[in-house]
Amino acid sequence: MSLFLIAALPFLGAVFPALLIRAGRNASSMAAGSVTLLALVGLLINAPAVIRGEVITARLDWLPWLGLNANFFLDGLGLLFAGLILGIGLLIILYARFYLSREDPMGQFYTYLLLFQGAMVGIVLSDNILLLLVFWELTSLSSFLLIGYWKHLPEGRQGARMALAVTGSGGLAMIGGMLILGNIVGSYDLTVILQNKELIQSSPLYLPALILILLGCFTKSAQFPFHFWLPHAMAAPTPVSAYLHSATMVKAGLFLMARMWPVLAGTSEWFYIVATTGLVTMLLGAVIALFKDDLKALLAFSTVSHLGLITMLLGFGTKVAAMAAVFHIVNHATFKAALFMTAGIVDHETHTRDIKKLGGLRHLMPLTFTIATIASLSMAGIPPFNGFLSKEKMLEETVHTVWMGSHYLVPALAVLAALFSAAYSFRYIWHVFMGPVRHSYPAHPHDPGPGLWLAPGFLVTLVVLIGLFPNTMVGPLVETAGNAVIGGGHEHFHAKIWHGFTPALYMSMIATVGGIALLMSQRRLAAVWDAARRPEAKEIFDALIAAVTRASQWFTDALHNGALTRYAAIFVVFTLALAGYAYSTGTMAAPTREMLPVSAMPIVGWICIMGATACVVAFHRNRLLALVLMGIVGLVVSMGFNYLSAPDLALTQISVEVVTIVLLLLALNFMPKETPVESTPARRIRDVVLSVTAGLGVGGLIYALLGRDFSAPSIADYHLENSYSGGGGTNVVNVILVDFRGFDTFGEITVLGIAAVVIYALTEAILSSRVRARLLNRVMDTPQAGDAHPLMMVVATRVMMPIALMVAAYIFFRGHNLPGGGFIAGLIAAIAVIMQYMASGFGWAAERQRIPYHGIIGSGVLVAAVTGMGAWFNGLPFLTSAFGYVHIEPLEEFELATAALFDLGVFLAVVGAVMLALESLARFAWQPGIIPEHPMDINPERDEDGPQTSGQEA
Amino acid sequence: MISTDLTIILPEIVLAVYAMLALVVAVYTKKDGLAGALIWTTAALMVVLAGWIATGAGGTNLAFGGMFVDDGFSRFAKVAILLSAACVLVMSQDFMARRDFLRFEYPLLVALSAVGMMMMVSAGDLMSLYMGLELQSLALYVVAAMRRDSVRSTEAGLKYFVLGALSSGLLLYGASLVYGFSGTTLFSGIIQTTQHGEVSLGLLFGLIFLISGLAFKVSAVPFHMWTPDVYEGSPTPVTAFFATAPKVAAMGLFARVLHDAFGGAVADWQQVIVLLSVMSMFLGAVAAIGQHDIKRLMAYSSIAHMGYALIGLAAGTEAGVKAMLMYMAIYVTMNVGTFAFILMMERDGQPVTNIDALRQYAKREPGKALAVLILMFSLAGVPPMLGFFAKLGVWQAGVQAGLIWLVVASAVASAIGAFYYLRIVFYMYFGEDTDSQLDSNNSPVLWGALMASAALMLIGVFYQFGVEGAAAAAAATLVN
Repeated sequence: MSLFLIAALPFLGAVFPALLIRAGRNASSMAAGSVTLLALVGLLINAPAVIRGEVITARLDWLPWLGLNANFFLDGLGLLFAGLILGIGLLIILYARFYLSREDPMGQFYTYLLLFQGAMVGIVLSDNILLLLVFWELTSLSSFLLIGYWKHLPEGRQGARMALAVTGSGGLAMIGGMLILGNIVGSYDLTVILQNKELIQSSPLYLPALILILLGCFTKSAQFPFHFWLPHAMAAPTPVSAYLHSATMVKAGLFLMARMWPVLAGTSEWFYIVATTGLVTMLLGAVIALFKDDLKALLAFSTVSHLGLITMLLGFGTKVAAMAAVFHIVNHATFKAALFMTAGIVDHETHTRDIKKLGGLRHLMPLTFTIATIASLSMAGIPPFNGFLSKEKMLEETVHTVWMGSHYLVPALAVLAALFSAAYSFRYIWHVFMGPVRHSYPAHPHDPGPGLWLAPGFLVTLVVLIGLFPNTMVGPLVETAGNAVIGGGHEHFHAKIWHGFTPALYMSMIATVGGIALLMSQRRLAAVWDAARRPEAKEIFDALIAAVTRASQWFTDALHNGALTRYAAIFVVFTLALAGYAYSTGTMAAPTREMLPVSAMPIVGWICIMGATACVVAFHRNRLLALVLMGIVGLVVSMGFNYLSAPDLALTQISVEVVTIVLLLLALNFMPKETPVESTPARRIRDVVLSVTAGLGVGGLIYALLGRDFSAPSIADYHLENSYSGGGGTNVVNVILVDFRGFDTFGEITVLGIAAVVIYALTEAILSSRVRARLLNRVMDTPQAGDAHPLMMVVATRVMMPIALMVAAYIFFRGHNLPGGGFIAGLIAAIAVIMQYMASGFGWAAERQRIPYHGIIGSGVLVAAVTGMGAWFNGLPFLTSAFGYVHIEPLEEFELATAALFDLGVFLAVVGAVMLALESLARFAWQPGIIPEHPMDINPERDEDGPQTSGQEA
Repeated sequence: MISTDLTIILPEIVLAVYAMLALVVAVYTKKDGLAGALIWTTAALMVVLAGWIATGAGGTNLAFGGMFVDDGFSRFAKVAILLSAACVLVMSQDFMARRDFLRFEYPLLVALSAVGMMMMVSAGDLMSLYMGLELQSLALYVVAAMRRDSVRSTEAGLKYFVLGALSSGLLLYGASLVYGFSGTTLFSGIIQTTQHGEVSLGLLFGLIFLISGLAFKVSAVPFHMWTPDVYEGSPTPVTAFFATAPKVAAMGLFARVLHDAFGGAVADWQQVIVLLSVMSMFLGAVAAIGQHDIKRLMAYSSIAHMGYALIGLAAGTEAGVKAMLMYMAIYVTMNVGTFAFILMMERDGQPVTNIDALRQYAKREPGKALAVLILMFSLAGVPPMLGFFAKLGVWQAGVQAGLIWLVVASAVASAIGAFYYLRIVFYMYFGEDTDSQLDSNNSPVLWGALMASAALMLIGVFYQFGVEGAAAAAAATLVN
């Protein structure tokens, strides 16, 4: 049968139990059983070929771009494990049918079980390490579902969580190791990797890969210090414990170590990491197991101990030890699964697993007693059972092992572990089945029906048969599997019960006798053991999780406390760091430009700017002062433009400056005059340091850039050359604005208009809300000027208005050739109007303003747009300008340019936008009833007492 | 000439014109009464456009003198953007309508930001880059603050705006430096100056500042600070949107700038991207451990995921870009499903975001719990879910590019990060029962999105619907 089919069968079959549960529990379990049986038969068909030494492969490209191929291969090791998984799986399915009670959803159980089985078969048959990883994590996932199957038990929850957390993260770490391994070899196919021992072991990445892969193996196989999850996972139903936690899943780690043995083993790193971990685990598990009163906990720790044993053997790195490891895998699977099942039977019949409440069951349950005794004796390493054979082999290997120069350490500890192992095995027999019959069992125990004892019975038959005839029963299988582990070369497998008086035999005898002695004193030792304080793995795990959670919470709260300033500070720090990195890695060419001489004038300006800026920072809480200081900065900048012969920019700058300051003043009128202090001195110091550093950084960068030429020549020359010939103007700035970059300007005036409309909409929304009432009833916190509309100012502004408008017109018309233009003219006109609002009051001015500002903005944009579209009629692109010279008597010759029309659009849009923004803000202050209707309009007929000059208005 | 340009950019124009027309119609008619219909028409239009772009003529077309690039890469990203935006839109309707903040502006803002995103991934010039970026960002600032009656939403929008403005400023500064030292804003021109080996210091500064600005948009650490607050503060549908389409767009733009403009100077930016990637992965993994607010948790999750996707960029190879694209496609699919579930989390009609409410959820809603389980495992990157293959792809690209330590660090980070995804699963299946249970909300749209996304996490392992081939082609057009 194809390997694909064997691997896929459990997955495909997983739907049947869930569906057939409607037809009854038997149908459901039959479905699960037959699927497993079919897969097992398929495997066994291939067995003879594998035993002959062939390797059966099946290849299929799955995700070739990831190097992930659905390649399977079946060699001795795979055959052994797949056989164990499917064989024991079959027995478990039979056992579970009778073990689970009527209330348990059996269909679901079998579905999960088959999924798990499929994942396990997938692991052992994979010929691609990525595929193996996929199956590896699938086992975590399905075991999570299986362990958590009994949802009503809180321990089950804890156990499932811990199991998943430990094995899951181990598996993820392993992915890293596998990727490194694949990268070293250049392929993710196992068969290729296994042939590249030298390449892998000589790679500098060997150690990281090894550690990461071993992390996955150790967590999965419950090796110290990750052993703690396994006993807690035992809250799962017994069939699950028997299957996952003794026979299959926990052996996945061992399998992988065995699989990778040819390429990873043999180095001192491998020896010290793997063998030491195995040794410690073996001893620790055995000691703890002796003092556990829960039957399943005892078995769980004994499993940990035996897994440690196998790990240690693999860690030795010798071929004989590897062979012994394989042999013990077979033996352990048989006796431990049987033991779990008997524990389940005891639990099922007596309704307790507490050893202290048990004893004397041999009379009530003779059959169970027989099965359990044989299995236990095998676990203790008593001849003629199979456990004895592999334990002998293990002890013999330890004798040849030197650990850090010590010849005795490993054998001594191994004997100690074997001693404890014998003790707990005997305890399982003695304290559960021997002794007087009790009358206090929670239930009435008797031997169960064949459904429950058939499976463990079959397994102990194997225990005996393998023990008696190891070479006939499993010789060929272990030999092929062992040779698959070893990789190159051929190693013969031979086992016999009697091989003379060897050191191993003496060690076995010590262990057995010592074990009996230990059991005698178990009760007394247990008292000491219970009294002693020792680290409880679960508590440590929980405390660790809690501590990590707290630490993470602290970290997150400290980092993301919601303060914008902190975020901005982090932003700046890292930008500086990155800039520093750029500076340190980049190469800077020597300066290409001469530095200009510095005259007194710029220095004065520079000092003014720096002083004003420093003052803004220092006095920013006084908002009015800060605004004034900002005005100074703006003025100096415009003077700077002037100094550098850029009158256009200077004009623009200065008018923009005036308008914005006026608008800001208006806005400030409705805000607190002071900014409240919210920051601590420490934070201010941090901010000062940060901002000074960032400022110096930017300054330094600019300084460095100024000394060097840009890579491309400046575009300025082009504009200077083409301004007159192409745009008909000698003022290059204006020609750029209205001609070269007309489209930009068009966009800008549109945006300006939108901005003004948005300000209008915002203030409108605010004024139509409750804020309006508060504005009307507000009490001024500072005394207002008694005379809101001083006579001098009113008169002066009215006189100046026509002059200002004339200046605007002048500036507008000269713009094309001399400093000026629509933008500046618009600002000047706006200032002229603003002055009226300020001097004579909002109501007075608004009354005389007959064209709505929205309209002015709109007409400005439209004029510009229509001008631009005019070019289309001449077959030219949008906004292509045209100009010509006209001579009309008695005038001089003058120029007519479409650009001027466009500039008119700019002018209108600027006026409208500025005024609309101003008007919107001013309406906050507008309070009906207290506004003089006729400020300064002297009409003796109407105003008998002279003009009203008092009132409150901003 | 101009008509060719317009043909190339037609999908963007259609969407933009639609959004503006719909805006006018909605303003002058029924206002919010139209919102539901607008959501569906917008989503339908997006799906149609996605289909149009996906099935349209291949090849690389340049419009407006190379400022707009229509190639396999941009088409891949656009389809992902449009489809995920459409999904999220449709998912939002019920949630917003029932809480009475379904405004007609929402679908239109999403549509406009989608236009910006399409522009971003098609940018062939620093100016079109900025144009797309700002169009996208401005729309996003507004939708973040959609719930004006909620202080948190407003605060989220404001924070996002202020920090976003800071990053935009930095990006512009970088762009102007790049222009100054390469003499052009066209990517195709910039790459010519960088290909001669030596990159001048000014250009390097420009590049670094550009990267910082873009890192903000993909919320890579340390420019991620806005993400948790904005995710938490924004209304959930908006959060769902934040977590999907804009991430694809920003990653696409990132890849485009790095490869199209600075492809010749991989060594100059590789270390920076590696740094961003490592920090993102670890912060995303560690900071979420203590979180119980699922929206905040998803914020850290998205930060971490961006870190993984950045590995693909850091590789600086065609394989890397391809892996990154696959990663983003899978990431978006996972997030759509996850947010569909989060949108369903409610009690007494009020949205619930605390994961403690999920205890024993599996008992009450086994189907949905299973779907969430699949999604969480996928987000954690546990095989055999699709999320694992996404990670595997970027890891392989990283390893091939010699970034072994980055990949190892990434595996460690993903092991740490698995903790909080699995905690959700743990709560659902094994948590202690609480009194405060979630109501059962069975909006068909949300349910469908959740189930479809979970199903894709499994089906995608066997069949990728041609996405893999498209990603490969897209990467090839970008890098070569």
